[in-house]
Amino acid sequence: MKAALLRAPSPLPGFGLSFGIALAMLSIVVLLPIGALLGRGLMIGPAELWGMVNTRRVWSALALSFRAALIASLFNLVFGLVLAWVLVRYRFWGRRLIDAAVDLPFALPTAVAGIALTALYAPNGPFGQALAPVGLRIAYTETGIWLALVFIGLPFVVRTVQPVIEELDRDIEEASATLGARRSHTLRRVILPTLTPALLTGFALALARSVGEYGSVIFIAGNIPGLTEIAPLLIVIRLEEYNYDAAAAIGIAMLLISFAMLLAINAIQIWSRRRIGLV
Amino acid sequence: MSDIVLSRPVPVTTEPPLARALLVGLAILFVAIFLFAPLATVFAEALAQGWRGMIAALSLPDAQAAIRMTLSIAVIAVPLNAVFGIAAAWAIAKFDFRGKAFLITLIDLPFSVSPVVAGLMLVLLFGANSSLGVWLMAHDIRIVFAFPGILLATLFVTFPFVARELIPVMIEQGRTEEEAALTLGASGWRTFFTVTLPNIRWALLYGVLLCNARAMGEFGAVAVVSGKIRGETATMPTMVEMFFNEYLSVAAFTLASVLAMLALLTLLLKSLLEWRHADLLAATCRH
Amino acid sequence: MNIELEELAKEFGTERALHPVSLFIPSGALISLLGPSGSGKTTLLRILAGLEFPTSGRVRFDGADATGLSVQDRRAGFVFQHYALFRHMTVFENVAYGLRARPRRERPTEAEIGRRVTRLLDLIQLPDIGARYPNQLSGGQRQRVALARALAIEPRMLLLDEPFGALDARVRKELRQGLREIHDNTGLTTVFVTHDQEEAMELADLVVVMSMGRIEQVGKPAEIRARPATEFVRTFTAV
Ligand SMILES: Nc1ncnc2c1ncn2[C@@H]1O[C@H](COP(=O)(O)OP(=O)(O)O)[C@@H](O)[C@H]1O
Ligand SMILES: [Mg+2]
Repeated sequence: MKAALLRAPSPLPGFGLSFGIALAMLSIVVLLPIGALLGRGLMIGPAELWGMVNTRRVWSALALSFRAALIASLFNLVFGLVLAWVLVRYRFWGRRLIDAAVDLPFALPTAVAGIALTALYAPNGPFGQALAPVGLRIAYTETGIWLALVFIGLPFVVRTVQPVIEELDRDIEEASATLGARRSHTLRRVILPTLTPALLTGFALALARSVGEYGSVIFIAGNIPGLTEIAPLLIVIRLEEYNYDAAAAIGIAMLLISFAMLLAINAIQIWSRRRIGLV
Repeated sequence: MSDIVLSRPVPVTTEPPLARALLVGLAILFVAIFLFAPLATVFAEALAQGWRGMIAALSLPDAQAAIRMTLSIAVIAVPLNAVFGIAAAWAIAKFDFRGKAFLITLIDLPFSVSPVVAGLMLVLLFGANSSLGVWLMAHDIRIVFAFPGILLATLFVTFPFVARELIPVMIEQGRTEEEAALTLGASGWRTFFTVTLPNIRWALLYGVLLCNARAMGEFGAVAVVSGKIRGETATMPTMVEMFFNEYLSVAAFTLASVLAMLALLTLLLKSLLEWRHADLLAATCRH
Repeated sequence: MNIELEELAKEFGTERALHPVSLFIPSGALISLLGPSGSGKTTLLRILAGLEFPTSGRVRFDGADATGLSVQDRRAGFVFQHYALFRHMTVFENVAYGLRARPRRERPTEAEIGRRVTRLLDLIQLPDIGARYPNQLSGGQRQRVALARALAIEPRMLLLDEPFGALDARVRKELRQGLREIHDNTGLTTVFVTHDQEEAMELADLVVVMSMGRIEQVGKPAEIRARPATEFVRTFTAV
């Protein structure tokens, strides 16, 4: 009823019902569990929480999750842009297949991706064997983690940048050319800045997803504490030890990282909308 | 000046042919290494001992229990998610109220929470170490390490899927058609089923498709809440993990290949929807 | 600089946008391509700019063959129908763009660029808008900035595609006068496209009437009014 007072009058029915269902499900499924984690944190107390997070093992796990996510997302930023550009601008055999395949990481369960990458890059796997003579070990190292996160984050940049490239005004590129700019100058000075907001958004989405990723990583990571142990895995380990407070502490740290990234994404979008009226 | 005349001029808004070929080659190589190779590996490893190995793996009781579990979860989670998505989109797209932007942010929130943290939240809420958990135990209600916990975890991670698809589509379609139906004397429900639903059906199907793929494939959150009890709470993805860790490679990859087939089917249907009904879907999708 | 078109034709796939057309544009003239929508005006203008290449025929600038000359090397100041300003750059940066895009050896110093941009903004009578972004300008202001940007590269000719098409009647009248003055001051050979016969007649020294990819008549406004060469010209230019 309170909500009804706060809304503008409308001839359409069903606000109470739809809003009620939405709010009830939101509360039970999302808000209550988040509240449970934050409430647990309050019960433990900030000093204790800090004490549990501020250990070498937790820091290196958090740092690894963040660093690997950052590297993989930067990689995806570059290749995602190339892929989106090629898919929109060029016509070549197999384009539609590749376009559809970009969503594979969204559709393929992460555990399946995880074991497949492990089988590929393990020392006795096809890629692992091919890379061994060059002295490259991927499975059970940090490189393996990057690889899994590149897989997971791939669609984000492509799918945020692709519609913006589709909407690019050809006039702008032609204007640049009539003013004497070579193609490379046009790409750098006109097209890239126009794509920047979408690139940043896609990058941030990929980063947010990769920081918390678990299923695709744990098989290929090696999971050595302090070296290749990611933060979500440490939570799982603490839970298996029935150390709920320590698990909650790491969980809260990760939640805060997620919130910070969510804020960053919104800030990027507001900034770019203000500046050039683009999403 | 005539010495700079080109015989065959290059179009203005594209790159030189060599650069184009290079970029296309790079894109194909990238997709082949990062997407096609892992996918092919799943099927190759599953077939390592031929069809017989796969059939044997699929007839393992644990595998069958996991398939049943995953299907039951999806059958309940996806419709619930669709009902939520429709309700949320109706309220958000058809009415103006305070705090709308905040509500949308909250709906999107599960996208940016690690699945493991989602599972952790449920364990902290309903687990034996919480007061609610103790009360539940006293009344013999099991949530964590049982079906309801897996369902809640799945609902959490799939929460935004349908709503995200429907909200932009319904906002774009506006309110006039519904208002017209009402002025013609249709009831609220009649208006919804005869006017709104036909307008959003492809977007709804699209959201349901993505939601279903994630519901069947969720690993981290489910692994934490389910306790991975074989034959009881293990789902297909968690069973894949257990088989893999026990070096039952063929069994692991057989189950994985079933999930991969499902993913391919999802992509196929998704692409069909995008080609046929692009105009009726949201312009961008992110998840 | 004079411009000569020799049997110029353009096909898009099977569609003929231009039948072979020939035309001589004397140096320093202000001429108008006039015709209904789809008559091939934009296509002709884009071929002059080097944005499109003819299927057959030649383009000569001061007698030298320029048919295959790349758009960057043509130095044609082109004003797009919807202005095509760079949204992420300020007005100053937009106008300076062509100077900064030059190879390092030919690029003026930043101080020189600043002086030139200021002079151009004065010329279009918008001296104070250098720091604004295009989406903070009115339609008429955008049009003038697009003109300044085209002039900044010291073009050899000025090409304008429906330059006043998207503006309301009052602003259109003002800007017409402005274009006339800029043309007279710079002496640039200027070609502008319009489907508005009144605009063509009022502004141009020479009007080229086009229809369905053909040139129907070339002449001074008064001549075309007095002696329309074809039935099409007579009906199209009838007030
Ligand atoms: N890029 C293109 N591809 C195919 N057809 C085109 C293209 N550009 C123009 N045309 C066709 O050429 C004809 C002339 O177009 P245009 O020069 O734009 O006419 P105008 O500017 O006089 O309206 C039209 O029939 C148009 O459909
Ligand atoms: Mg035109």
